[in-house]
Amino acid sequence: MASFRKSGGVVAFHWDGKIAHPADAAFAEALATRRFRSIENAASEEVSIGWITPADPTGETFALEDLDGGAGTWLRIRMDKKTMPKKWLQIHRDAAEKARGKKLSARERRELKDDLTEKMLPRVLPAITLVDALLFFDKQTVLLFATSKAAREAFGKLFFESFGAALERSNPLQAGLRAGLDDETRYQLERCEPVRWPNTQKGEAGVESRRRQHIDADDEATVENNA
Amino acid sequence: MTQGPDGADTHGFLGEEFLTWLWFRWEADGGEFTLPGGRVVGIALDDFLSFAAPSDDETEQTLRRGLPTRTAEARTALRQGRRLRKARMLIAEGSRQWSAVLDAPTLTLNSVKLPEDSEECESDVDRTADRSANWFALHEILQALYGQFLRERLKPDYKKTAAEEQARWMAT
Repeated sequence: MASFRKSGGVVAFHWDGKIAHPADAAFAEALATRRFRSIENAASEEVSIGWITPADPTGETFALEDLDGGAGTWLRIRMDKKTMPKKWLQIHRDAAEKARGKKLSARERRELKDDLTEKMLPRVLPAITLVDALLFFDKQTVLLFATSKAAREAFGKLFFESFGAALERSNPLQAGLRAGLDDETRYQLERCEPVRWPNTQKGEAGVESRRRQHIDADDEATVENNA
Repeated sequence: MTQGPDGADTHGFLGEEFLTWLWFRWEADGGEFTLPGGRVVGIALDDFLSFAAPSDDETEQTLRRGLPTRTAEARTALRQGRRLRKARMLIAEGSRQWSAVLDAPTLTLNSVKLPEDSEECESDVDRTADRSANWFALHEILQALYGQFLRERLKPDYKKTAAEEQARWMAT
């Protein structure tokens, strides 16, 4: 088993509620319920996503020691996807149109594609993507080492199906709510608005001066209205 | 899994204000921060900056290579009141140094480089443990810095004090 990566992109997630402790057998069992299943020889499935361990890419075993990631628990998902080569589909479509002597209709093109997919899918090898994550149980935090939407969604779905807890992606609001702020500051956080920094290129004044100008302007308007 | 877009519902603007604040604190105070527990970390911006567009129909500005924080383009962007959207940061604690591009509105870290493996690492298991600890330390440092920023940013007198100071720096 190779060592964990030392570079790349990372997205943080958090969960609320209870999940099995990574040192318990129940944790490995939860992974096994949504283990990866091969589609190498499948005739109809185009995508398969499931848990594996860094030591076993087949998803057949989930030994607790294989999940040891030092300070965290090392999780890995495998995503296999079979895709019919587009050029290959185009060649068959061109041949069909040449034989017919005219263009295929949209329905005929779809039927041709379905027919070819059914025949050829078992012969197509899947593209394999492995996505790693580190789970820090005490902090209810997962660091996911993939930033694409597809990987984030696949991981979140799998996590929920396995542990029954929804992952919440960290963002400036969520990170703030988890930053240990007091109640008043949390209240301010939820309601805060962006600071409009002055454009001094246009000769605008500082933040508080601008705020003061707005207040003064409002006061003047009120006076005028009253008058 | 709930996932907010880059927009206002996730307070993406606060991420941008945070990154701009780090730049300000780096230039104004040397970029040294004391975090809860007495941890001292150093922050600097490196060779990649991207400024948020002030509105949907205006351009985003990206500066790469060399020392973009010192360029006239970067100073002009600050004078125009623009916030940083992305930047490559250097984060140091003791002998450890990380490099990462922070996408501020989502707080996603891209192109991260961890510190060199500890000399005590003799096996893959050791290296995994060391790197895992370094990934988590990076996450914790950024969380702590963000918390520090929020405590300042959300003070009732923020606009009269720290924001005025930052506005003066942005105008220089």
